[in-house]
Amino acid sequence: MAMSNIIPLFVAISLLGAFIISIIGKRLKWLPDLIGSLTTLILLVLSLITVRIVATQGILVYNVGSWKLPIGIVLVLDGLTVFMLVTVNLIAFFVSIYSINYMERFTSKWKFYTLFLLMMAGMNGVVVTGDMFNLFVFLEIASVASYALVAFGTERHELEAAFKYTVMSTVGTLFILLGIVFLYSYTSTLNMADMANVLAQKGMSNIVVMVSILFIVGFGLKAALVPFHAWLPDAHPSAPAPISAMLSGVLIKSLGIYTLCRVFYNVIGINSSLSLVLMVLGTLSMVIGVFLAIGQWDFKRLLAYHSISQIGYVILGIGLGTPLGIIGGLFHLFNHSVFKALLFLNSGAVEYATGTRDLQKMGGLMTKMPITGTTTLIASMSIAGIPPFNGFWSKLIIIIAAVQANRLGYAFWAVLASILTLASFMKVMKYAFFGELRNKWSEVMEVPFFMKIAMVILALICVVGGVLFISNINEIFLKPASDVLLEGTKYADIVFKGIQ
Amino acid sequence: MNLTTQFFKFDNLSIFVAIFVGIFFLLITIYSVGFMRQKKNLIYYYSFLILTLLSSLGAVFSNNLILFMIFWGFLGLLLYLLIEFSQTENASYTAKKAFIIIGGTDALMLLGLALVWRLTGSLQMDEISISLNTKVAVLAYICLAAGAFAKAGAMPFHTWVPDTAQDAPTPVTAFLPASLDKLLGIYFLVRISLYMFKMSPALNTVLMMIGSFTIVAAVMMALIQHDLKRLLGYHAVSQVGYMVLGIGTGNPIGIAGGLFHMLNNTIYKSCLFLSGGAVEKEAGTTNLEKLGGFGKIMPITFTSFLIASLAISGIPPFNGFASKWMIYQGIIKTAGNGSHLWIIWLIAAMFGSALTLASFMKLIHAVFLGQPVNKQPLSNKILTKAEAMINKRRETSPTMWIPQVFLAGLCVIFGVFAYRIPLKMFIFPSLGEKIEFLGIWNASLATILIIVGIAVGIIIYLLGTITKARETEAFIGGEILEKQPNMRISGTEFYNTIKEITPLDAIYRLAERKVFDIYYLGSIITFGFNKILSYLHNGILPTYLSWCLLGMIILFYILLR
Repeated sequence: MAMSNIIPLFVAISLLGAFIISIIGKRLKWLPDLIGSLTTLILLVLSLITVRIVATQGILVYNVGSWKLPIGIVLVLDGLTVFMLVTVNLIAFFVSIYSINYMERFTSKWKFYTLFLLMMAGMNGVVVTGDMFNLFVFLEIASVASYALVAFGTERHELEAAFKYTVMSTVGTLFILLGIVFLYSYTSTLNMADMANVLAQKGMSNIVVMVSILFIVGFGLKAALVPFHAWLPDAHPSAPAPISAMLSGVLIKSLGIYTLCRVFYNVIGINSSLSLVLMVLGTLSMVIGVFLAIGQWDFKRLLAYHSISQIGYVILGIGLGTPLGIIGGLFHLFNHSVFKALLFLNSGAVEYATGTRDLQKMGGLMTKMPITGTTTLIASMSIAGIPPFNGFWSKLIIIIAAVQANRLGYAFWAVLASILTLASFMKVMKYAFFGELRNKWSEVMEVPFFMKIAMVILALICVVGGVLFISNINEIFLKPASDVLLEGTKYADIVFKGIQ
Repeated sequence: MNLTTQFFKFDNLSIFVAIFVGIFFLLITIYSVGFMRQKKNLIYYYSFLILTLLSSLGAVFSNNLILFMIFWGFLGLLLYLLIEFSQTENASYTAKKAFIIIGGTDALMLLGLALVWRLTGSLQMDEISISLNTKVAVLAYICLAAGAFAKAGAMPFHTWVPDTAQDAPTPVTAFLPASLDKLLGIYFLVRISLYMFKMSPALNTVLMMIGSFTIVAAVMMALIQHDLKRLLGYHAVSQVGYMVLGIGTGNPIGIAGGLFHMLNNTIYKSCLFLSGGAVEKEAGTTNLEKLGGFGKIMPITFTSFLIASLAISGIPPFNGFASKWMIYQGIIKTAGNGSHLWIIWLIAAMFGSALTLASFMKLIHAVFLGQPVNKQPLSNKILTKAEAMINKRRETSPTMWIPQVFLAGLCVIFGVFAYRIPLKMFIFPSLGEKIEFLGIWNASLATILIIVGIAVGIIIYLLGTITKARETEAFIGGEILEKQPNMRISGTEFYNTIKEITPLDAIYRLAERKVFDIYYLGSIITFGFNKILSYLHNGILPTYLSWCLLGMIILFYILLR
């Protein structure tokens, strides 16, 4: 069982990094950058190692404090966890590289990195834990860190956004806690695998349905599904650009979508009415999000609304419940992490160079900032689903899956949202990067090295993202993740088997 | 299964299209060397051209629908990037519009692709054969056809073509909207209509309706344009109507005519754009009111433009006539189905042809004949830069006129030897059917007759007028026009009266307010929804919390009912 010792490292290393920075980061100016990048790099490497481990050894289970299942807390490493770990830590690494230059604008960089790594600990913890209450704790760690990070600029509108975010997110957290309490009283256990077993024996009852609703509302708030989305367009643009990238790129996915999937597929067990609810919520988010996005003139706000819309695609795909739909949804989750993080980093680069986020004030920046412009173009094409970029593949799979499941209406809405997404990113490209250069931007310079390198590599991932679907890579990365969801409440047996 | 047949196929149709894609790539590259000389970042320009060539070839040869979609969709992005090379405010607006229309219909094609997969379980184009008897099948066909229409520029997805023609660099217009996008769009329309789906009479009628409407509406718009490239852009739309009409007839000769017209159109339309571009390069403008008298300055350009104009107007013996003739025959043949609608299609096609000729009369007069602007600038006026340019106008550089002359030559050859060269070599093999002509049209014989006729005419003209003719400056009321710069007649005014005819004036006014532009309509609807939703997002926290509550109550109601 030595291999399973790798699991707690994801939380421990992040916490360690946060601890070191908070103690000595204030005095040594260069230290936060180094520790931040180093920690996220180690986490990225570890998460890539786990891909290999799970592919060869199957599911791994770690008992915290050697307490046996079902009494103690367990950490579980299965296909879905690995998939999420890679996604989270990949984005986190590039975001922290980007922050080296970008965060120069702010004072007290060490506070930023401390909170950032704390948020990482929370997200990794949510993903690896196999315990319901532990999940709630990690969820809170990540959320609280993100409240502070949204308010990091401490200007008026940032504080307002953070306040709204805090209130709404706390409401969501309370519903989740309430749901856990009901489940605990119903099943007398907090371990997810054990809980799944007990629920399977007891069968469906109204209390389970009520818990499902509480979870949909709670996790839906975290994932910003319409109508629980209203905090997102304020919170995401107000944060510093790297944090926006983290929030839109991975936070809403690990706290919202991952938890939804895990709870509904592996613990409670999905049924047709739940899956219909997920699909409807997904479609609503997809369409309403994009309609709201297209009229925005604030670059980051536009991107934030698109996050709502793209989350809708993911939920639609996963809600379909067919193998193809789930693969499409998860694939889109990964792709969206990459291109949306990149887009937020791009918007940060533009803001860094020009000091504005208003699209109407920009224009012709392509000539002055070719790398930012090109990477934005690539990310825009990805999100709009233009071949051969990665977004095309996942959207294609989701649309095919919807048609295959005989859900033509949903497929149609997905196509419509895709057209409008293209239109709104054409707007971004036109107003920010193409057209004639304005005189006041004639002195604008391309952003510094670390910002460039982060954007370029993420753009490369967008370009080659389609290869993830080529069978060999799909077999070890996407397929195990979707298998976890497909096997449903058999998850329990597998976890128990993993413990031996 | 063999990997090649799974992903690629090389049948006569695709080879025929690919050959012409290659030819146009070569011609445009040669032309661009002259035209794009002063622009920046040319390395990107040429690499985009090469990428366009490669993805077009990929699209033409792919046998797998997903593979096809990748190449096809990527072409939209390349078009977008190529239009941006104008680096003007208008061009970036146009590029946005073009890409939204093309990319949007590509998204529809994805839906079509998914539907095809559901119907047949296969994405291999040569294995698919769907009869259009279910709603899903019809929907799939419409989704795929929408993509083909947008690419080719047929109504209602045409509005990007005139804008692109006006704002994009001329070689780009000649390359993509005028030739490659036509080849690909019609290629795909043929591919789905003939091979992948079994057409029903109702859908054929719809196709013919779209075709006829496109012909007439676009040519009517072309008549009133004041910009050389925009006018040509509307003709690019109008000509697509003929191809759609031809394919819509559903009988071999009509389809062959449609394909042949696609080929001819790409030839003469590129030629027109390239000649227009040469004029633009010399004059610095494409506004018809500021052009005039270029026939004497640029004789080679004038000649090739003239030949291409006659070809597009369907004057024998040029190639446009040959293909239109086949389309007419196809339309007449549909009379056998018992429907009397064929008369309408035929009238629309012929009427469109006549109007095309009319608008090219205007164009040739305004650009090449007519009076030059400020031929004799007043001596005490300081020459502006534009006027200084006029004085040193000359024929365009060889890299620019060689492609024009080559294309003009093709117009003549494909017209005179219509049966022997293009039809026998390219069109008939790609359809693989024996095609019978209705009437007798021996192009070569007719050409000889026409040449004889013209020769006789010239002889009579020379004999009759040589002694009496007197050349003088144009004048009105004793004032010589060319000395009065304000009194110039530009050639566009004659056609303004069309705008004032009673039913047409209202339509034109609506058209100028973009009411028929699907892009404009779409944006109005989208921003309407956006307004409503933005109004709801008022930034007040209790409102947002009450939505959550409302959502939860609804969920409780649905799930616990």
